[in-house]
Amino acid sequence: MKVTLEKHGGLAAAIQLRLPPKELDSAALPANDAAELAGLVAEAVSAGPAAEEDRPGRARDAMSYTITVEEDGRSTTVLTQSDTAMSPGFAALLRWLETH
Amino acid sequence: MSRTRRVNCIIPPHLLDKLLDSEHTGVRKAALDTMLTTARLRGERGLRASFVGAASAGNGRRTVFDCQQGRLLPTATLAQSEDGAASTDESVRRAFDGLGTTRDFYRTVLQRNSVDDRGMRLDGYVHFDVKFNNAFWDGRQMVFGDGDGTLFTDFTRSLDVIAHELTHAVTEFTAGLAYHGQSGALNESMSDVFGSVVKQWSLNQSAEVADWLIGAEVFTPEIDADALRSMKAPGHAYDNELFGKDPQPDHMSHFAHLPDNERGDFGGVHINSGIPNKAFYLTATNIGGSSWGAPALIWYESLKASSIDTQFQGFADTTHQKAEELYGAGSNEQLAVLAAWQEVGIQVSGVPAGVARDLGRAGRNGAPGRTAGQDTGGAARDDGLTALNRQIDALASQVASLSKAMTAMQREHVTRG
Repeated sequence: MKVTLEKHGGLAAAIQLRLPPKELDSAALPANDAAELAGLVAEAVSAGPAAEEDRPGRARDAMSYTITVEEDGRSTTVLTQSDTAMSPGFAALLRWLETH
Repeated sequence: MSRTRRVNCIIPPHLLDKLLDSEHTGVRKAALDTMLTTARLRGERGLRASFVGAASAGNGRRTVFDCQQGRLLPTATLAQSEDGAASTDESVRRAFDGLGTTRDFYRTVLQRNSVDDRGMRLDGYVHFDVKFNNAFWDGRQMVFGDGDGTLFTDFTRSLDVIAHELTHAVTEFTAGLAYHGQSGALNESMSDVFGSVVKQWSLNQSAEVADWLIGAEVFTPEIDADALRSMKAPGHAYDNELFGKDPQPDHMSHFAHLPDNERGDFGGVHINSGIPNKAFYLTATNIGGSSWGAPALIWYESLKASSIDTQFQGFADTTHQKAEELYGAGSNEQLAVLAAWQEVGIQVSGVPAGVARDLGRAGRNGAPGRTAGQDTGGAARDDGLTALNRQIDALASQVASLSKAMTAMQREHVTRG
């Protein structure tokens, strides 16, 4: 399983546009990390989209995050949520990706 | 029913007390209901009065909360308020002070009572999430990240960033510029303009001395970048291997056409803001002196006169019109505005290009270094008139030489004939 994190927008949007996405391959992770990641992905997927629409709404400079989960080389799931509309499941996965 | 209510209203309290002692259950119940209704109404009136009081007497009271690295604002803890002692946490203190400086700028310079002009409370949240590389306005409050420590550091470090975010609220309560395309770039530019002006005001810096940078303090020392953006030189805030060259344009000919979605920054709202940013910088330096004088006032009045779908052209026209209303037709301030927009490739509507070029030149050369203010209108108007007169003189001499040539040609024709 390959997980990619892309960040968009925010106060430093112009810089975010240039930064490469973060990629993690569970095959390269220790077994317990890989299992933890798989569990978080499953939770984020089952949590579904956050309550709000994907347009910026009234928030300004908020960032949005696109997490792509690929299995067997095929893109299977794409999750996008933002700073002001984020499910707890997505937030947990995001934090894990940011700190690993 | 209405009769019952009328009766209820006129029953004196002592009689109600007596009725409560009545042996009849129905009478007791009616008396009790009346008392409860009256108490509730009185309570509501009191409640409503206290709401009104809170809005008008709030005067932008500040509260800063500590998210303690969490993402949920409701669970953040109170860190500093107007009534308590200053926090020992530097991020909390900086956020609190930055909210105060921005609020004081709007109050004393632009006579605006907090972001909504009705004394709205200002709430800030610091230490949001882990390694959070951002600061944002969520539609009701400000949120600051600590940065990842690699690229970015604490976002409370830049006063212009704090003023930038609060100005998003001001824009929301005034023009409500839609956050995509040109209106979105104008929305971003308003935040950069007042972000920088607040910083210049707090440092008492003239337009000539100011750095005109946005977020100069948010990078870690390892990162080779001056700031997130430069209003003086859009496109030149950074140029490094890590994230390349600053993509901001400083002229309409380099307007960035990006997709209107998250990936495209909603049509490059943080990118194309470079064009109106440069126009404000040029206006401020053309006029000279304090950016929080005439330049800020012209922009603020124009923001209030704009609407949800205002584009660059419409905003440029409005600033030209507001400069005229505030300082007079042909004033140095108006010429400064005209020249500024022209330099970024936007021609103010109704001013022929040739005239604009000459008048603009006069606006640029008009008394450099002079402090902006209403008292400069007379001298400035003279500058404009001088430029116009010069142009008329030039045209008149051209006409004279043309007619001379014509006469000569006619004579030649007659002689030959």
